[in-house]
Amino acid sequence: MKQTNKRTFSAFKLVTFALAFIFALQIQAQGDPAKGKALFNANCAACHKMDKKLVGPALKGVTEKREAAWLKSWIKDSQALVKSGDADAKAIFDEYKIPMTAYPNFSDADLDDVIAYLANPKAASKKKAAAGGMPENVKKGKSVFNANCAACHKLDGKLVGPALRNISEKRDKAWLHKWIKDSQALIKSGDADAKAIFDEYKIPMTSFPNLSDEDIDAVLAYTSYVAPKKTNTAGAAKQDVVEHKTDLNPRKTNLPIWILLGLIVAALVFKRTKLKPLAVVLLPIILLLGAWVTYEYLMQVGVDQGYQPIQPIMYSHKIHAGDNGIDCNYCHSSAKDSKTSGIPSLNVCMNCHKNITEVAEDTHVGAMGKKELDKELGKLFDHVEAGTPIKWKRIHRLPDFVYFNHSQHVSVQGVACQKCHGPIQEMDEVFQHEPLTMKWCVDCHRTTDVKMDNKYYEDIHKELSKKYNKKSFTEADMGGLECAKCHY
Amino acid sequence: MASNKKYWKSVDELTDESGALEALSQKEFVEEIPTDQFLGNKEALESSSTSRRDFLKFVGFSTAAATVASCQGPVVKSIPYVVKPEDVLPGEANYYATAIADGHDFANILVKVREGRPIKIEANKDVNGQTNARVQASVLSLYDSNRLKGAYAGGKKIAWDAFNKAVIADLDAANTAGKQIVLLTGTCASPTNGKLFQAFIAKYPTAKHIVVDTISESGMLDAMEAAYGDRALPSYDFSKAKTIVSFGADFLGDWQGGGNQASYAKGRDAKSGKMSQHHQFEANMSLTGANADYRYPTKPSEQMATLVSLYNKVTGSNLPTKKTAHDATLAKLAAKLKNGGLVVVGANDANAQQIALAINKVIASPALDVVNTRNIRKGNDATVKQLLADMKAGKVGAVVTNNINPSYSLVGYADAVKNVATTVAVSLHKDETATTAKYVAGSHHYLESWSDVAMNKATVSIMQPVIKPLFDTKQFQDLLLAWTGDATNYYNYLKTNVNLGAKSWNQTVHDGFASLTIIQSENTEETPVIDLTAAAQALAAQKAGKYELTLYSSIGMGDGKQANNPWLQEFTDPITRIAWDNYLTVSAKDAKALGFSNPIQDNGAIDGNYANVTVNGVTVKAPVFVQPGQAEGTIGLAFGYGRKAGIKDAMAIGVNAYQLYFDNKDIQNATIEKTSGNHQFACVQMQNTIAGRTGVFRETVLAQYLEDKNKAGEPEWNERPKFSLDHQEVEAEKADLWTSFDRSIGHHFNLSIDLTSCTGCGACVIACQAENNVPVVGKDEVRKSRDMQWLRIDRYYSSVIKTQEEGFEEGLSRGELYAKLEEVATDNPQVAFQPLMCQHCNHAPCETVCPVAATSHGRQGQNMMAYNRCVGTRYCANNCPYRVRRFNWFRYNLNEDFDFNMNDDYGRMVLNPDVVVRSRGVMEKCSMCIQKTQATILKAKKENRKVEANEFETACSAACSTGAMQFGDVNNEKDAVATLAEDKRAYHLLDFVGTKPNVVYQSKIRNIDNA
Repeated sequence: MKQTNKRTFSAFKLVTFALAFIFALQIQAQGDPAKGKALFNANCAACHKMDKKLVGPALKGVTEKREAAWLKSWIKDSQALVKSGDADAKAIFDEYKIPMTAYPNFSDADLDDVIAYLANPKAASKKKAAAGGMPENVKKGKSVFNANCAACHKLDGKLVGPALRNISEKRDKAWLHKWIKDSQALIKSGDADAKAIFDEYKIPMTSFPNLSDEDIDAVLAYTSYVAPKKTNTAGAAKQDVVEHKTDLNPRKTNLPIWILLGLIVAALVFKRTKLKPLAVVLLPIILLLGAWVTYEYLMQVGVDQGYQPIQPIMYSHKIHAGDNGIDCNYCHSSAKDSKTSGIPSLNVCMNCHKNITEVAEDTHVGAMGKKELDKELGKLFDHVEAGTPIKWKRIHRLPDFVYFNHSQHVSVQGVACQKCHGPIQEMDEVFQHEPLTMKWCVDCHRTTDVKMDNKYYEDIHKELSKKYNKKSFTEADMGGLECAKCHY
Repeated sequence: MASNKKYWKSVDELTDESGALEALSQKEFVEEIPTDQFLGNKEALESSSTSRRDFLKFVGFSTAAATVASCQGPVVKSIPYVVKPEDVLPGEANYYATAIADGHDFANILVKVREGRPIKIEANKDVNGQTNARVQASVLSLYDSNRLKGAYAGGKKIAWDAFNKAVIADLDAANTAGKQIVLLTGTCASPTNGKLFQAFIAKYPTAKHIVVDTISESGMLDAMEAAYGDRALPSYDFSKAKTIVSFGADFLGDWQGGGNQASYAKGRDAKSGKMSQHHQFEANMSLTGANADYRYPTKPSEQMATLVSLYNKVTGSNLPTKKTAHDATLAKLAAKLKNGGLVVVGANDANAQQIALAINKVIASPALDVVNTRNIRKGNDATVKQLLADMKAGKVGAVVTNNINPSYSLVGYADAVKNVATTVAVSLHKDETATTAKYVAGSHHYLESWSDVAMNKATVSIMQPVIKPLFDTKQFQDLLLAWTGDATNYYNYLKTNVNLGAKSWNQTVHDGFASLTIIQSENTEETPVIDLTAAAQALAAQKAGKYELTLYSSIGMGDGKQANNPWLQEFTDPITRIAWDNYLTVSAKDAKALGFSNPIQDNGAIDGNYANVTVNGVTVKAPVFVQPGQAEGTIGLAFGYGRKAGIKDAMAIGVNAYQLYFDNKDIQNATIEKTSGNHQFACVQMQNTIAGRTGVFRETVLAQYLEDKNKAGEPEWNERPKFSLDHQEVEAEKADLWTSFDRSIGHHFNLSIDLTSCTGCGACVIACQAENNVPVVGKDEVRKSRDMQWLRIDRYYSSVIKTQEEGFEEGLSRGELYAKLEEVATDNPQVAFQPLMCQHCNHAPCETVCPVAATSHGRQGQNMMAYNRCVGTRYCANNCPYRVRRFNWFRYNLNEDFDFNMNDDYGRMVLNPDVVVRSRGVMEKCSMCIQKTQATILKAKKENRKVEANEFETACSAACSTGAMQFGDVNNEKDAVATLAEDKRAYHLLDFVGTKPNVVYQSKIRNIDNA
C-alpha cells in the first residue's frame, strides 16, 4: 500500500503544483462552496470544525494561512507530505500527533469545492449571516475568539470560564491584556480581582502569550459588539410556532362537497321553477356524488397522513440527520434490535449536547433563528437538570391490534427508514409522510421481494425455488398477508 | 376396551331425568339472548315515552355524532427514559432468574420483564424448576392494589423512621420486662435469614424465632428427626419408584411442598415400558388420586389401619392394627413394593409418617432420599402449641409476624394475641392479623426482595428483585436489621453472609442458584431405634368418626396467601371444575342419605345445598358438592378461602376451613347436617359440551399398548374412523371436500398433548391467561358459561360397563345396566384429564362460516383470529365442534362491573404488550401463541441462523412440568413433535368430523394389571 501511495504522490505532486499555479488566484471562482460544504460535512466534520479545535485544528481561515496547493496535497495524503520534509506539515503533525486520514479519492474539483467552502463558509448558506455586516476589527476579534477562547468561554453564559460579553466594561483594558497573556502571573502579583476570579473558577486560564495586543483588542471589540437590530424575524418566528400545520389531511379539498351542495341547491331551485325535469336529471348525479363524497370521507377517518403536531421542543431532524448526517440508528438505537424504534433518552441527547450548547450562528429553521433555537435547545437542558422526560407527541402510531416490529424490517430486511417515514432528513419538523393504512402495508408486502440471504431462509428458499421455479419471492408469497402475522 | 367404556362429565349425564343435559348438548350457546327481557314486557314498552320517531332520531344523531367524533384522533405521547438503563431495550424482554419462597410455594423461576415490568413467570429449567398454577399467577399478586403502602402504628400511617423507633422502644420494653419476643414466620428456608435471626436474638435475649407453617407438615418432620436426626423433609424421586403406594398423600398437589410432577411423569413413560404403578388410598378425590392406576376410596382412619397392615405384610411383623377391606390387596402390594417401591402418607401425623419411613427403609426404596433433604417446611406443632399457651399466660411481650396470617389460619391465635402488648405485622395486605396488630409494616413482594433460599441441602437459590418496589414498603429483613441496630441493608448483609460454595455472587445471581456439597452430620452411623409398636398403637387408638373430615390444600388457592389474585379465584378446580368457591365434598351415598343434591340448571350451571359441619363444637356452614369417588363417611373441605380482611369484596368468598384445623391436624372427626339455603356454584363442568359426540378420549392399558406398539396397523384402542369414498373404505381424514394445501415448506406447527403424563395440574391454564391477556370475568359470568379461558382442562370420569348383550345375558334390563354403571361411577370412577384449546384445524369449520373472513388459516397451521375484523356474529363458535371459542360479552378492561386486574392501574401492568387486549363484541380463542412463534422466527433471523430443534414453544408447553405438552414444527424432523404426531398413540379429537386438527393427543395409558 505504502509503495503505491508514494508513487501516486510523486506523480500527483507535479500535477498539483501545476494546478496550484493556475488556480491559486481564483480559488473562490473555481470551487462551489455549497458542494464543498456537503463534502466537508461528510468527510471532514468528524475531526474538524470551522471555528474550534476538535481532533484536528479549526479550519476557519486556513485558506489565508496556507496555500491552496499545499492544502490539496495535504488533504490527499498528509503523511506523504510530512515525510517529504515539508516544515509546515511536520509542525502540524507534531502538534496534533494523530495523522490525518488521507483522501486520495477526492478529485481536484472536490478539493476546489472544499477549499472554496473553507475560504468562504457563508457562501454555502443561502441566507446572509449577520456577521457579514461586522466592522473589520470585530470580524478579526471573532475569529481570534473562536480559535482561542471559545473552548472555555461563551459570550453569554458560563462554560468553563465566565461569560465574556461586555467584559471590557467590567475590567480595565490593561488588566485584561495582562490577564489574557498570563493570568497566573497576575494572580501571583497579588491582584485582588485576579485572585477572586481564580478562587471562583478554580481552573487556571490558559495563557496566550502569542496573542498580540491588536489581537486582544480585536477580541475585546468583538465581545462588546452589538449587532444592529434586525427587523421582523422575532415576531415572525413567534407566529410560526403557533401556526404549525395541524391539518390532518392537507391533500383533501372540500371542492366536491361544495359542488355537491351546489347541485342540491340547484336541484331544489329547479324543482320549484319550470326546469323541473332538470332536477330529475340532477338527482342521480347528486346521489352518486353524495355516495362518493361519503365514501371518501369515511375512508380517511383515522388516517393521519400529514399529521404534524407541535412538539414540546422544536427539534429538527434536518439539522441532525440531514445537515450533520447523524445515522438514524444512533438515536433510535433499538430499531435494529427491537419492536420499537425507541425515542432517545436524555442521556443520548447529552452525548453530543454536553459539548454543543448552542446552535451554530447561521442556523435557521423556518423563521426561527439562533436566538429562538437556542431557547429550544435550552429546554433540553432544563429537562436534564430537572430529571424529567420530554413528553413528545407521537406521530407514527399503529392501532393496538397491529403488531409491527422494527427489527424485522430494519435489521433482517434492511428496509430504509425513509421507506415508511419519508425523507426525514429533510424535515425540520416530522410529519407522517405515509398513510400507514393496511392497504399501504399490504401493497408493499405484495410488491417487495424478500431478501433471502439470511441463513434462516436458506432451506425455505431452496425448496420454494424448486417448487415454483423462480428465484425471488414477495412477502405475500411467503405468507406475509396472513391476518395473524400482524394481528394478534 | 373402547367399546364398553363410558365417559361422562357428571353423574347426571347417566340419569338425566330432567332432559336438561340433552337440551344443553344441542344448544348453540347455553344462554339464549334475553330478547324477552326487553321485548316481552308489553307494559314497559307501552309506558315508555320514547316514540319510534324519537328513537330513530336518537339513532341518527348518535351515529352522526360518533362519526364526527371519530375523525379526531387522540394525541398520544411518547415518553422516553431520562436515562435509559443499559440493559433495557424497549420492546424486548429480559429474563431474570430468581426464586419464590412464600412459605407455601418454593420454586426456582425465571421472570420475564418488559420495560422494567415483570409480566410472566417461567420455570428455571437449569435447576429443575417447576411451576404450578399459583407460582405462575404470583406475578399478578405483585400488582395487587390492595397491598399495604407504608408503615402504620395504631392504624395511622407514620414514617418508617418513626415506625422503627417505636417498635424498638416496645421491643426494648418487652426485653427489659423479661417477656418473650417472638419472631413468628412461615418457613423461610434462608440460611442468611437464620443468621439475621441469631443477630436479633443476641440484641434481644428474650427473643426467639418460631416457624409456623400455615399447612403443617410437622408430623413428617418429627418422624424424620426421630429416624434420621434431621428435622427436614425427605426428597422424593418418583421416577425411580416402580410401585407407588400413597395413603392420602396428594403428592401431585401440595403434599410436603409439592414439586413432584416432573419426576412422577418421568417414571410413567409408557413408550419405554418403564411405567410405575400407582396405588392411592384416599378419602377425597385428589389430583393425585385422579392420576392413580388404582384408587381405593378409604376413610382416613381406615387408611392408617391399612398402612400398619401393609407394614406387617412387608416385614412380617405383627403390629396392632384393625382389619380393613383392603387386606387382600395388600399382600400383592407388599410383594410389588419390595421390587423398588415407595410408600407415602398424607396425614400430618408423626406416627403414620414413622411407619411410612420404616416401610421405605425395609424395602430400600430407591425413590426416597433422606440425605439431600428439603428445608421447605420447618414448622413444629408442639412449639406452636407452647407459644399459644405462653401468649395466653401473658409470658409473651411482643410478637412480630412476617408474611403469615395466623389470626386467620391458626386456631386460637386470635384469642391468644389479645394478651400480647406489642404486635407487629409485616405483611403484604392489611389482613386479619394486620388489622388487630399495633404496628403494621407493608412488606415487599418476593419479586421486589433479596434473599437466599436453600430449598434443599444441595442447592442455594438467590431471590433477586426484578422491579423497583411499587409502594412505600420495606423488606422484613431490612426492618430486622434496623431493629438490631445494624446500619447495613439486607442486600449487603446477604452478600456478606451467603454461602454459595465455589460460585461467585454475580454468577449465582445470573443463574439463580449455586450447588453446594452436602456435609453429612457425624452421628449418622447410629440409627435410633424407634418404637413402631407405640406408633401403631397410637394410630389404632384414634377413634374413627361417623364422618371424617379431610382438610386439603386446593390446587388453585393453596394455603390462601394469594386469595386476592383473580386469576387463581377464577381457576377452576381440576377435579370439581368449580371456580370462585370452596365447598364440602361428600360421597353420593352420603348425599342420598343426608338429602344433598346438585341440580343442574338449564344453562348448565349447578346449584347445591348448604350443610353445617361441626368439629370440636365449631360449626361451619358451607355448600355441598357431591363428589364421585369420595369415600363414604368422609367429607372434604379446601383451605385458603373465607379471607375477609384486606382483599377485594369479590375475592372474599368461601368459608374458612382453618377454623376446623385443630392442632394442625388435617383429619378431624366431624358431624354434618343439612341446613337451609340454595348455593349457586360457578361450575363449568357441564358447559361447553361437545354436542353429545363420543370418542373424545382414548386409552388403553400398558400391557395392551406394549403388545400393539410394534405391530403394523392401527390398534383396536386407537382406531381411526372409516368412511366410504368411491365405494372404498378410507380413513375419515382422507375423505375430503377440499384439496389440501401443501404445508411442507416452512414451518408447520403441531401441539402434542400426552394424556398419560398430563396430571391436570392447570399450570398451563394460568400460563395461557398471563401470556395472552385473558380477562377475568367473575363468578356470575363463569356460572353463565362466559368464562374467557382459552385453554381449559376437561375432566372425564369413566368406568367399564357390561355391553348390552352381556347385560341381557345376565338378565339385566337396560335401565338396570345404567343403574349399575351409576353406582360404579359414583363410588370410584376412573378419571382422565384432557387439556382442550383451539385445535387449529387445517379444515376448520369456523373459517368457512365467518361472513367477514375474520378467522382464516395460516400456512404454518395456525387458525388465525383477526379481532379487528370480527363483527361478533358468533357463527364460528356455533360451528366449532370443540367449543373452544370465547366471546367477549362485555368490555372486561376499564370496566367497573368487572373490577379485577384489568380495571386497575396496577393490575394492568401485568398485561403482555405483544398481545392486544380484546374489546367487547369480538370472538377470541387460542392463537397457538403466534406472538411467541413469530418472536422465535425473528430471533433466528436476527442471529442469521435456522430455528433450532425444539426451539418453538407456547405458553402452555413452556409451563408444563411433566412434558405432556410438546410444541414444535412437524416439518423439522428433529423436533420432538414431529415423531409424536406419527405415534401409535396419536389421535385427533373427533377425527370423524374431518377437521384435521394441528393439535394431536396421545392416548392415555393406564398401568392396570388385568385388563
